[in-house]
Amino acid sequence: MAEVILEQLSKSFGKKHAVIDMSMTIDDGSFVVLLGPTGAGKTTTLRLISGLEKNDKGTISIDGRVVNNETPAQRDVAMVFQQYSLYPHLSVRENLSFPLRSPILKTSKADIVAKVAEVADILQISHKLDNRATELSGGEMQRVSIGRALVRDPAIYLMDEPLSSLDARLRADLRIELKRIHSELGATLLYVTHDQTEAMTMATHVGVLQEGRLVQFGTPREIYEAPASEYVASRLGSPRINLLPAELFNLSDGLTQTIGLRPEHVKFGEGQAASVKRIEHLGDHTRLHLDLNGHAITVLSPSGNPFSAGTSVNIQPLNPLCFDKDGQRIIRDSA
Amino acid sequence: MSETTVDRVARKTPARVARKVKGLSDRAIAWLFVGPTIFLLLTINIFPLIWTINLSFTNFKANRPNRAVEYIGLRNYERILGDSDIWLSMQATAHFLFWTLFFQVLIGFTLAWLINKKFKGNDLWTTIIVLPMMLSPAVVGNFWTFLYQPQIGLFNYVITFFTGADPSSFQMLGSVDLAPWSIVIVDTWMWTPFVMLICLAGLRSIPDYIYEAAEIDRASKLRQFFTITIPMVLPFLMLAVLFRGIENFKMFDLVVQLTGGGPGSTTEMASINLKREAFEKWRTGYSSAFAIILFVTVFGLASIYVKALNKVKER
Repeated sequence: MAEVILEQLSKSFGKKHAVIDMSMTIDDGSFVVLLGPTGAGKTTTLRLISGLEKNDKGTISIDGRVVNNETPAQRDVAMVFQQYSLYPHLSVRENLSFPLRSPILKTSKADIVAKVAEVADILQISHKLDNRATELSGGEMQRVSIGRALVRDPAIYLMDEPLSSLDARLRADLRIELKRIHSELGATLLYVTHDQTEAMTMATHVGVLQEGRLVQFGTPREIYEAPASEYVASRLGSPRINLLPAELFNLSDGLTQTIGLRPEHVKFGEGQAASVKRIEHLGDHTRLHLDLNGHAITVLSPSGNPFSAGTSVNIQPLNPLCFDKDGQRIIRDSA
Repeated sequence: MSETTVDRVARKTPARVARKVKGLSDRAIAWLFVGPTIFLLLTINIFPLIWTINLSFTNFKANRPNRAVEYIGLRNYERILGDSDIWLSMQATAHFLFWTLFFQVLIGFTLAWLINKKFKGNDLWTTIIVLPMMLSPAVVGNFWTFLYQPQIGLFNYVITFFTGADPSSFQMLGSVDLAPWSIVIVDTWMWTPFVMLICLAGLRSIPDYIYEAAEIDRASKLRQFFTITIPMVLPFLMLAVLFRGIENFKMFDLVVQLTGGGPGSTTEMASINLKREAFEKWRTGYSSAFAIILFVTVFGLASIYVKALNKVKER
């Protein structure tokens, strides 16, 4: 396991700038999640670190060693691809032992067998070891491809949306599994996703990407509570943050253009009157869809939910986030 | 909305036709469609085969149709298996088959591997390489006789250019030692592109991400070649060998054009020998037996081979 440092990393494909001036430190043993929509440069960042792509500018260092000109093999990274990328002509067992059979490693046969059995057990694919890779379901294939990374003890695990093609239940299971692997092995992980639940639940640090740039890097809590911009604020949180014009609550102070209101950042019983459009009962909590002068707002209902659709309710922002005309958050000292 | 295509067709069928097909079951209609094909297959494939088997037990001669035909049991087969000429022709076929497959697979795969590298103009190169395959065997045979011409032929000129030997000191088609190789060269020239195309299809079917995964798994280029490229192209390669093998087992046209089986009978392959027996010596019964032996040989070899191919595919 090792620390990975990116400094002013840039990469373009023709005219398209995939990664721009990215600097980031992935501490030894941390679980970093890169979050961003399609095309934000998440996958390219992974491929640059793995060595499958060469960076145009900047440096990548792994364990204190600059690896810019090293091959993927020399960098000693393990990667899980978004497509399963299994060796289709090999059995599950052969797929899992493929990385261990590398002549550089000189792993003994007994060790390979033991390691494969161990990983297969973790991922619950022991009963499929002798199947061909192509005879598996999508979920099983992805577990094998995660397993192929886990059999190794690399400097860093790179994972490119490994759970995106799995069904909800398996995804939840594997999320816990990955988190467990991370804490048990003390592994360093860089994980790419557009799923904010994955980011919130697994990450020790989240990096938010916007059009090739790293716009904010911090713990999931920091990102959630103190987003740097409207863009970052709308990346985390479900339901999404409500972005409303500041005048709506007469909060204009000349600088604030937009206020961001998390669903829980609402005080009921005072302030503006809004009509209740729809109520969503989700068991442990209830969501209200409100309409305030033509602006849709989603808020968390207080416990007991005294409201019903069609009625009116007064709401007042509670510690809203303020953004200026460029969408950057205005940081007030001791607000 | 409830009207389907079947309903529409049914409504448009003329009353006269409708009356005829009325009461036919689906199965009967299916037979009506398949019937003509089955009839054709029977008349032009199955019947001749059975008739040939029948003739192979007789002393029938097609140029003397009025002579009484005698059934002579397995005597034709006995004579063929003891005939040293036949064995020589089988050896010539085996030699031709082995070396053409060897060179075509070797060169075809190498070319495919090179063409598959991403470089500018590889489509153009593919087209150029594939050209020989598009020519008629008669044309190819004909102009290679010119190329092999000792005094004015390009082939001898190129050889002497590199070795310094006298161009008229050797004759590719006229020499007992060289003639078998001269036809191997022409067939390889003509059909290597075919093997290349099939190998290329195999190589292109391997997605890039598999190599990327292997790269991450720290497999060397050599290991990638032997654990990914070769196993994944193998089914394609074996298919190419099957096609070429069956084709070359019955090789006729090129050899007739180039050597006509000569000099002596050094390039007289099974198919040429068969034609001579059947249509020059008119030993119809005898050549029928020979044809059956060839058929069983090819069929047997191909069946074993297809089994092996399926095993490779299943892996």
